[in-house]
Amino acid sequence: MVIIDNLAKNYGGFRLNVSMEIPNGTVTGIIGKNGAGKTTIIKAILGLIRPDEGHVTINGIESTALSGADKAGIGVALSDSGFSRYLDLKDVICILKKMYPTFDEDFFRKSCAAQGLALDKKLKDYSTGMHAKLRVLTAISHKADLLIMDEPTAGLDVEARNEILDMLRQYLSDNENCSILLTSHISSDIESLCDDIYLINDGKIILHEDTDTVLSNYAILKVNEDDYETLDKSYILSTKKENFGYVCFTNEKQFYVDNYPDIIIENGKIDDLILMMTGGK
Amino acid sequence: MLGLLVKDLRITLTRKYALLIILFIALIMSLSMEGPFIIGYLTMIALMLAVSTIAYDEMDNGYAFMMTMPFSRKAYVREKYLFCLISALIAWCIGAIIYCGIYLYRNDVSAIMEQLPAQLVLIPVFFVLPAIMIPLQLKLGAERSRIATYIIFGLVAGIIITAKRLFGNADLPLDPEIALDGFSPVLALIAIVAVCLLIAFSSYLCSARIVMKKEF
Repeated sequence: MVIIDNLAKNYGGFRLNVSMEIPNGTVTGIIGKNGAGKTTIIKAILGLIRPDEGHVTINGIESTALSGADKAGIGVALSDSGFSRYLDLKDVICILKKMYPTFDEDFFRKSCAAQGLALDKKLKDYSTGMHAKLRVLTAISHKADLLIMDEPTAGLDVEARNEILDMLRQYLSDNENCSILLTSHISSDIESLCDDIYLINDGKIILHEDTDTVLSNYAILKVNEDDYETLDKSYILSTKKENFGYVCFTNEKQFYVDNYPDIIIENGKIDDLILMMTGGK
Repeated sequence: MLGLLVKDLRITLTRKYALLIILFIALIMSLSMEGPFIIGYLTMIALMLAVSTIAYDEMDNGYAFMMTMPFSRKAYVREKYLFCLISALIAWCIGAIIYCGIYLYRNDVSAIMEQLPAQLVLIPVFFVLPAIMIPLQLKLGAERSRIATYIIFGLVAGIIITAKRLFGNADLPLDPEIALDGFSPVLALIAIVAVCLLIAFSSYLCSARIVMKKEF
């Protein structure tokens, strides 16, 4: 289990200050705009940066004090970092074999072949999609209990994204107790994979909710100016002025379905969540 | 640790053509020159190549992913020094084999027996170079550390030249032969090795401190 307890990190004028938990066997998503602090959380969990305040623990061990054996149980895919581009896949296999006692070479070779990753091609000649697939395959090739994925599908086309998500789904079905922490600003990835969602904005968590709850209880209300005046705003989380009137975001869809049958109510999506909770007034 | 050594070996072998050219040049030079030049030359080149693996680690933000792999930060630093030592030993052995081959060809076996053991001292002496460069690279990165290395070696050269000019007429033991005159060669050798080991260990402590504090 990953516990982030009052983690604070300052970068010039930016301050990250969050608390969160990733229980065993769950898939947790962190969503938010670019620069919101998603990658800083990932780096703090992996012990790559030191918290200015607070604690980050993985199975009770401070992330900055993780031993080699502790790290062997974590599979990592970072968006902007990986193996040296001067190596080829054969080099990568040799390195992983020596690094991870539980490295499944047979699975890795077969998966790479299935994804079209050439063995003797230098990584610098790989496409963006191939790099992303290699990063994910590396993370899932050594039977890790915890997967930490920073933007694993960023910059990819729909096909490549689906292939990566399928790999993660397969890994989850093969390893039921595995936890995954995933950051993304692609809402469909989060919707299809995550059990719960943390929405982060400007270094703070502004919402933590189950994905199913977001999809079933959250909604967008579209109302004109007159209806807006009479609308009960007790369950309105955020409002945005538009040409036709107001767009309101609620976490109690049923209340408005029952009491305001004439207004337009659209099911809430993760994109709406991000837009309305981080950009609305 | 083994995984890191394999990684650095694989990275070094990506430059196999450059390594072959270096070996070829060394061979030509040793054929045209007297003495065991090739041993020192190859040892020095190997140490510089070993240190340059840090630049490969740093390239394209590679540190962030690498530091999530199952080893401690101190193990990373230890591996760098160990990889330099292994590289130096291998290069020394290759140099010694070539040197022996050339001398055997010239039918001068006695010279080998006289010169070869003394050449072992090159390893600790040349190890001072990575001992300076590793902490610099870890602290400043590949580009800035290169400039810092030039400045340091420039300063050392400047100090020596200035000292020679200032005290040129004084009877000071600036020449190693004068300085070591009267010492037993074995004692002198032990003293040199001890000083080099001390420098290397201080360098390791410094590098470990840098990496422990570093954020990726």
